[in-house]
Amino acid sequence: MTSPTHSAAPCAIPGTPLADASAGIDACVHCGFCLQACPTYLALEDENDSPRGRIVLMHALVEGTLGVEDPDVRTHIDRCLGCRACETACPSGVPYGRLLEATRATLTAKQPNAPIARAILFTFAHPALLSLALFGGRIVRALRLSSLLARLPGRLGFAMSMLEATRGPVERAAYRPDGDGSRGSVSLLTGCVMEGLFTETNRATERTLAANDYALVQTSGQRCCGALHAHAGDADTARELARHNIAAFEASGADYIVVNAAGCGAMMKEYEHLLASDVQWRHRAAAMSAKVRDVSELLADAGPRPGGPLALTVTYDAPCHLLHAQRVATPPLRVLGAVPGLTLVPLEGSEHCCGSAGIYNLVEPDVSDTVLAPKLARIADTRAALVATGNPGCLMQIGAGLHQAGSHVRVVHPVDLLDASYAADPARRAPAPGASRQT
Amino acid sequence: MIHSAAGSSPSSAPARGTTRDDGLARALAAIVGERRVLERPGELRAYESDGLPGYQHRPSLAVFPGSREETVAVVKLFAERGVRFVPRGAGTGLSGGALADDVVLLGLHRLRTILSIDAENVRAVVEPGVVNAALSRAAAPYGLYYAPDPSSQTACTIGGNVAENAGGPHCLKYGVTLNHVLAVTALLPSGEIVTLGNAQGETEGYDLLGAFIGSEGCFGIALDVTVRLEPLPQAVHTLLADFSTVHAAAEAVSAIIASGIVPAALELMDAATIQAVEASIYAAGYPTDAAAVLLIELDGAAAGLEEDSARVSRFCTEAGARGVRLATDAAERARLWQGRKKAFGAMGRMAPHLVVQDAVVPRTRLPEILATIERIGRAHGVQVCNVFHAGDGNLHPNMTYDGNDPEESARVHQAMSEIMDACIAAGGTITGEHGIGVDKLPYMDRLFSPETLGAMCALRDVFDPDRRANPGKVVPMHSCREWHGAAATRTRSA
Repeated sequence: MTSPTHSAAPCAIPGTPLADASAGIDACVHCGFCLQACPTYLALEDENDSPRGRIVLMHALVEGTLGVEDPDVRTHIDRCLGCRACETACPSGVPYGRLLEATRATLTAKQPNAPIARAILFTFAHPALLSLALFGGRIVRALRLSSLLARLPGRLGFAMSMLEATRGPVERAAYRPDGDGSRGSVSLLTGCVMEGLFTETNRATERTLAANDYALVQTSGQRCCGALHAHAGDADTARELARHNIAAFEASGADYIVVNAAGCGAMMKEYEHLLASDVQWRHRAAAMSAKVRDVSELLADAGPRPGGPLALTVTYDAPCHLLHAQRVATPPLRVLGAVPGLTLVPLEGSEHCCGSAGIYNLVEPDVSDTVLAPKLARIADTRAALVATGNPGCLMQIGAGLHQAGSHVRVVHPVDLLDASYAADPARRAPAPGASRQT
Repeated sequence: MIHSAAGSSPSSAPARGTTRDDGLARALAAIVGERRVLERPGELRAYESDGLPGYQHRPSLAVFPGSREETVAVVKLFAERGVRFVPRGAGTGLSGGALADDVVLLGLHRLRTILSIDAENVRAVVEPGVVNAALSRAAAPYGLYYAPDPSSQTACTIGGNVAENAGGPHCLKYGVTLNHVLAVTALLPSGEIVTLGNAQGETEGYDLLGAFIGSEGCFGIALDVTVRLEPLPQAVHTLLADFSTVHAAAEAVSAIIASGIVPAALELMDAATIQAVEASIYAAGYPTDAAAVLLIELDGAAAGLEEDSARVSRFCTEAGARGVRLATDAAERARLWQGRKKAFGAMGRMAPHLVVQDAVVPRTRLPEILATIERIGRAHGVQVCNVFHAGDGNLHPNMTYDGNDPEESARVHQAMSEIMDACIAAGGTITGEHGIGVDKLPYMDRLFSPETLGAMCALRDVFDPDRRANPGKVVPMHSCREWHGAAATRTRSA
């Protein structure tokens, strides 16, 4: 009784991803409870830019009353952040994220994405190109060109501010993690932007996991998780990347695949769904998805162990793909709670999207800015010195917004704070090889 | 407010499928901006429905003013041009009150400023698009809240609440919207602005405010609403009683009410509803093997609350409850309530389509009417999910079905019609809080005499003599025609 019954209605777009996913549309009862959860509805005040309105558009595509080439359909579907806050507001369990991806895949088959979106997606799908781009980013950052160019108007200035936001604010000494590996083996999805621009956060992830008795295993041959591609409607590339990663992580044989980027974690937990119709891969995908954990989940399972004191005032902003997609709410707070002396100030509207949404802030800059503005205002209200959040997109979006506003508030990954806390623990004070200092 | 002949005929509006009135769209855009006027079919789709499942009517265009001044200018333009329009808040209504069938849709959701909170005099002034729960959130720092709490309170607007005279679980003790609105600045369809009621809550002269509240958008628009706030209760006890028959739960309701205790809320959910909720993200921990649960809330001064709570618990046990659980903290209380408030949405997962009903019976006849509803459902092979305000006899029998199956749809609608008849026969009525809209129109004749319906038409004509605001709602068109014909006050062409 609790599974949705597929409607017997005829379908105008048979064989498309949306047609395959259309049972999810039937679950919507138009109650409107999603409206106030939707950042684009609140920003644009038009139901076409709300989950309920977009589901109506999807339904119109399926029944054929609107065509896939209808420009209004494309506009409102493009404007969705994909934050999935509607899913945690929806009583009838509409699988909105999946419907959105299926709709985008259906629309982009007829009409490709904007050139800037295609260029970014192409880069992320090609490791050599991606390495070059991230290397370039590091050079620009090291030469402080980003600081200079951030003053430029428009998207280039904002992109440079994003790059500035990747400078870690946490200084820490080397320490010995001292774990015994008894909680099982873990392998880190090093990621694209994480390893390229948040290198130290990746190392902090490894150290804090080791300090909480996880045994680290390296996985070579990893690729981009494919989240950006899936969200933009390029399911084929997403599937290709997923297969690549499944094979790579299978070879590592780790008990858990740990992810410190919420968007990537959400994607990998959905590999099972992504490859559901691939008979050769679906079981392997399911096995892989079952092993994926956000770093905060693993740390919270282990306590985590408390570190040394850090006198900091911090607020926490929940990444949408951690809170709404993965439904991981409290573990990041437990990570922050393991830092003695850290004062955690609640952030009003922490459950609302910051407007980053993968590459959204670069392709829909105006809406993204409108969504970001109240977030920055509420961060200022907290008077915290640091905003902790566990996703590179959110770190860069909020960090760029703060940077452009001339704020002294900095962004930080929760794991970096726990790592700094361990580094501040006199009991762990002994140099370990590989630990570094960053400002 | 004198009858004007011009515009009194609904046939002056363009027929479905004719060219849109481009001049009107341009004139509206000059007031509210291009972006806030929707004309293309692709953009109007989202506004074809409100919260009532199964109905779709396309507006001729939609306009969304962003300020009081823009709203007044828009309505004056409508008056000048004889344009018919439907006001809409968040579109969460469950009787189709915000459906616009080839007339202009006037969205008021952008008017969402809380104009003032006067803590000393425990009142607030809000624009119509303010979301119900947002008002309580804003009042909380003053130790106050807005009591009417329709299940859609996280989305619905105060303007919509006024139009529908919305209720909610807690209206058992605190009363409905009518009991909490002190004054309304109303914009009549003619473009005139009138003040109904006053901030002191005194009534002098005719109670026009009382007439306006629940007028379902047919009398005009609330530009601002002055509401009474309530102090947050000192203590709250939320109980969940678990029954193995619906009858026993209904008996417990009667026993509690008969004792003189007035719970803040007294809600009943049957097995089908419990299972839908427990399968959703709002799973509240209701026992899934129960035939019914009662969600009972007691609030007020801390003194004496424990004692009342123990008595209520005893009444439930005596009526046959398998267990009674007291929520121990605010988080558990919130969880129990979330399940109840999202129950209607949770039913969406059961089938593609859903009928959400609203009817009232005298509380003493609850056990009997519930048995009748079950019998009707069985006779038509229809699953009925009951979730309702048991304390005041306000039923919500809901039915899930596949609307693409004409045979099943027909059975559902037949069952619904019979349930309404049974409620009327039991001395009840056809809506407790959802309003008439379009969904309940067919039942009006069963409930009211032609004279009473005629009086309603006459009252409407005082506020909206051209009948341009929310045309075709609340009172069946033929009643008005007959009444006007009989009274010979006006003649109308068919």
